[in-house]
Amino acid sequence: MNVARKLACAVVVAVCAVSLAANWLAPEGYAKQFRETPNAPPSHQHWLGTDDVGRDRFARVLYGTRISLLLAPAAALISTALAVLVGGLAGYLGGIWLRLARGFTDLFLSLPWLFLLITVRALLPLNVSPMVSVLITFFVLGVLGWAASARVLSTSADGLRNSDFILQARASGLHGPRLFFVHVLPNLKPVLYAQFWISIPVFILSEANLGILGLGVAEPMPSWGSLLRELEGLISFREEPWKLAPLLLLIVVMTSFQLLLSNEEVTA
Amino acid sequence: MAVFDSDRMPGLLSAQITVRYAGKAPVLRGLSLEIARGEVVGLVGQSGSGKSTLALAILGLLGRQRAIVEGSILFQGVDLLSLRERELRNLRGRALSLVLQSPLASLNPALRIRTQLREAWRAHCNDDATTEDCDQAIESALRSVSLPSSEQDRDFLKKRAAQLSVGQAQRVLIAMAILHRPALLIADEATSALDVITQAEILELFARLNREIGMSILYISHDLPSVAGLCQRTAILHEGQIVECGATEQIFTAPAHEYTQRLMAALPQLPARREAFAAKAKATAVE
Repeated sequence: MNVARKLACAVVVAVCAVSLAANWLAPEGYAKQFRETPNAPPSHQHWLGTDDVGRDRFARVLYGTRISLLLAPAAALISTALAVLVGGLAGYLGGIWLRLARGFTDLFLSLPWLFLLITVRALLPLNVSPMVSVLITFFVLGVLGWAASARVLSTSADGLRNSDFILQARASGLHGPRLFFVHVLPNLKPVLYAQFWISIPVFILSEANLGILGLGVAEPMPSWGSLLRELEGLISFREEPWKLAPLLLLIVVMTSFQLLLSNEEVTA
Repeated sequence: MAVFDSDRMPGLLSAQITVRYAGKAPVLRGLSLEIARGEVVGLVGQSGSGKSTLALAILGLLGRQRAIVEGSILFQGVDLLSLRERELRNLRGRALSLVLQSPLASLNPALRIRTQLREAWRAHCNDDATTEDCDQAIESALRSVSLPSSEQDRDFLKKRAAQLSVGQAQRVLIAMAILHRPALLIADEATSALDVITQAEILELFARLNREIGMSILYISHDLPSVAGLCQRTAILHEGQIVECGATEQIFTAPAHEYTQRLMAALPQLPARREAFAAKAKATAVE
């Protein structure tokens, strides 16, 4: 592991650890309003100042980071599971199933990702509780984000279907779901891990996109997307540079993920 | 052309088949082959002559390659070509087994040896069978192929394919194949990837299993010396047809078909020096 990757790993681990410690670092929570000090600049009490309704920006960044960093892997898990069901299974079955799955996947991939995401999210209820909005947002990301992984998995599973050890397993009388789950799936693990890790930064950014458009996590719950929305009203970076903290954090974490995922073992 | 002494040995398999892939010339053209119970039959032919196609056709595993199989394959009196997939699956691994050419590629790289053997056993075990039954069957199969099977050697079962030698991997495959004591073992170029010493050990193993279990073996190979050393009968496959079939000694000493004669002529001869050394050693032994 080179220095850049070690540093990237340390950054991701540190950000995750700090966000998990939000309850201790910002015990007053992300929703408490300090009504006497709205739009306050950074101070000892509010390290990143307060927003326009007086909520502590540092607390919101911590809790927002926690939501984005915990739920993006959950969405990646959903999308990878769907990719196994569509791509992995089709590759294992071969023939018409593989052609159908590839056609469907190509069709899905040809749709503009962000447009599709915004459309589907807008079709779902927006006037829901913050927690439900979090679940809906990341569930939509997971459900719509399977296609690229499915394509990779279908090719890998197709290769395994014609391998000697699968032929040997068939010749031993093995068949059906057991053959797929016990004999094929363990051999797809490296591809599955790679697709899972690659999906995480994609989903973090996608949630941020939805959040900026007001289609992400509902107020008062914070996420990186909803925190970035605050930048819409930013007049001057020089006068209020602390408002860029969520953006800076997003850039640092995304860059760290990219450095980590550039490992040949992950991208192979 | 098939030679089959039904008085001496009762029939186990009788195949009369033509195999073709859509839009292509037949790979096997009216091939006729018979195997008796407890018999070791060698099938010899050059690469691409259809040897593996015959093996897969017997096991009913050609369907996925869109092959059209015509004719009949009578196994224990039942035409395998008339069976449904579910019935064929019930025979595969239990009555008909396969050992492939590349031992390391034929073992699942992601699974431990124990898991692979257990999977092969579970494919045909009774509903009331226990894990102890499974472990006993595995131990017995491993002992049959001279692999570590005792409690002290349990570490062997925890290994994966990449941690085995080629010879060990081939023995594991044979152990998997004989778990359910099949009536017919099809060894498709099972010794081609092995070095000479390991090859000799595996051939001895096949011969012992044939003697001890009474299992018939269809030994597919293009390696004539190994066929000569193991098989009671030999069939020569050329351009999708059995051109000659008979007792192994007869095939090797008095080949009738032109292709068989070419095969025998192509056999490498021992250098004169080695024969001289052998004669010298014999003379020394007499003294």
